[in-house]
Amino acid sequence: MSLLDKRILIVTGKGGTGKTTVAAALGLWAARSGRKTLIVECNGTQHVAPLFRQPAKGYTPTILHPNLSSMTITAEEAIEDYVIKQIKVRKLYQLVFRNRVMGPFMDAVPGLHDAVHLGKVFDLSEDDMTDGKPTWDLVIVDAPATGHGLHMLAAPQSLMELTRAGPVYEGVKLVHDVISNPDKTALVLTSIPEELPVNETLELANHLHEADHEIATVVLNEMIHTELPSAEEWNTHKASLLSHADTPVQQAGQLMERWMSRKARQKDAERRLKTLITAPLISLPLLPDRALSFSELQQLSHLLEGGLAKT
Amino acid sequence: MSARIIICCGSGGVGKTTTSAALALSNAINGLRVVVLTIDPAKRLADSLGIEVLGGAPQEIPMADISGSCDAVMLDVEETFEGLIHKFSTSPESAKRILENRYFQFASTRLGGVHEYMAAEKVRELATCGAYDLVVVDTPPSRNALDFLRAPDRVAGLMDGAVMRWMAMPATRSGWRALELGSEAVAKVLGLLVGKETIGEIAQFFDLFRDLWDGFHQRSIEVQTLLASSRTTFLLVSSPAPSARREALYFLDKLSEMKLPFGGFLINRAEAEVVWKPNLQEQLAGIVPTDLASSIVALPSIQNQLAHQHQRSIDALLAAGPSRAKHWVIPDLGRPVNTLDDLVQLGASIPQIEELH
Repeated sequence: MSLLDKRILIVTGKGGTGKTTVAAALGLWAARSGRKTLIVECNGTQHVAPLFRQPAKGYTPTILHPNLSSMTITAEEAIEDYVIKQIKVRKLYQLVFRNRVMGPFMDAVPGLHDAVHLGKVFDLSEDDMTDGKPTWDLVIVDAPATGHGLHMLAAPQSLMELTRAGPVYEGVKLVHDVISNPDKTALVLTSIPEELPVNETLELANHLHEADHEIATVVLNEMIHTELPSAEEWNTHKASLLSHADTPVQQAGQLMERWMSRKARQKDAERRLKTLITAPLISLPLLPDRALSFSELQQLSHLLEGGLAKT
Repeated sequence: MSARIIICCGSGGVGKTTTSAALALSNAINGLRVVVLTIDPAKRLADSLGIEVLGGAPQEIPMADISGSCDAVMLDVEETFEGLIHKFSTSPESAKRILENRYFQFASTRLGGVHEYMAAEKVRELATCGAYDLVVVDTPPSRNALDFLRAPDRVAGLMDGAVMRWMAMPATRSGWRALELGSEAVAKVLGLLVGKETIGEIAQFFDLFRDLWDGFHQRSIEVQTLLASSRTTFLLVSSPAPSARREALYFLDKLSEMKLPFGGFLINRAEAEVVWKPNLQEQLAGIVPTDLASSIVALPSIQNQLAHQHQRSIDALLAAGPSRAKHWVIPDLGRPVNTLDDLVQLGASIPQIEELH
């Protein structure tokens, strides 16, 4: 079963490890395969549309490319959506939510903001068009960073524990069941090849495993590929360079040592992620520090596709 | 007088934890009594400090050649919250009732903002206990950290007068406390969202909490005053990575919006440009095989590509910041920072407290 045959893909990882770029590249791949795809950002962030040089339209899906759209969710809009769906009277909603105790009260329910995010994602993935076909074949979530991403995934469970029964319990249970069903939902983790970020990815993977979430793939970003000598060769010769104290020869040796060490760290990161997480690992190159061009994004999406085809 | 406070904020993956530890150690070496607080649930600080497990009580970091002292603390949310409840309760019984309330047990560690609020409280406690000259705070990654700054406000909002009055009204037939004008609608909607029973539990908690309200409110004002005072400095930790820069600017906006004292940028893991002497290849060729010499001579092309990318990123960050903002560039050691010695070495590029004003 291809990654793209799921209904929901959730991309999460440590901050700064390339979640948004990976979500966009996955989206492009899915769109290319003919699937109507929606990328969903959380908490009002709007970084995806600018990657496609399109204006972001907030809570309304904006078309980025044939078959590909994006939108962002805020908890307030998702709550409004949910409540109006339940009580079917907009006026009543306005009456209630203009009440000054509501804001603080909503804040007092742990996990509510996160749960309504996932609830909206669930709704989007279940949404049908008039001809009965799904509006979106695939919904890709650019989820918050590690710690918060975990909270988000745990939020339905959390609300279920708090409410124990009733309509909300039933509602979040539906969401929970879909989010933790590996046939419908897959998790994509992003990381970078440094020790602490990799530790954090492994920790995240552990937590997800304990909560019965399946990790579909791990994307290791920021890999720098260089032609360097083998470790054996370097180890044979490095002492002879480094012993030339305070000379250009020593500096040259030190620089090579840095790059050898970087390469070793990259290899180590790949090895640890591969052995400790039972999911395919795809390595992507370090990207330039500027807005990616469309063709660069497309290249990334091909690398993802190619990387997963091999596994 | 309270201790000086340095709060390190910034997005995840920029080395905040490492930087906070290095900052604490280098100021301790120079004679200050320092404590570093991590509120990040991941026990990463313990890793970098070589301590097995960090607990809620300060632990001394064992170091030779140090004229001050350096302790490390990991925030224990439950313990801190319970401490506050005991402190502000009118009687041990009322404290017990709150601690036994099902909603409190459920929410005390999961509620957005509580974690951060307790961190702010812990900072206050450490800063005013008299045992320290400097408190260094490592905040959680990225935007969550804003909750840390906003937490006292948020909890105050949660428990503010309107909610209190609302909760204090007599119970209605349906069994849960209510309700002003339009309350039937409020009841209906809240019931739909989280169920009536839950609302009842939350209401009971708020009701019990009424007695503690003044204490909490007063305390949150103290915490906020302390965080905004000239005793406190916020440092933005960033790296030359573009995503980190975006996050740093977001923080900068928030700090100025909240009128919090910004002390400067700490830019981690910057790569420096290298230029080889023209005759390097010949020199190397006498020492190592020719192909190895060639690959060393070729290194600057890739090293400098990275260094230039970093420099452009640093320039962009500084250009977007306030004019004449201080900044410290911390070089990449070229290896993971794992030991105390590494932290001390980083400390050389890190500001001492007196440089921050």
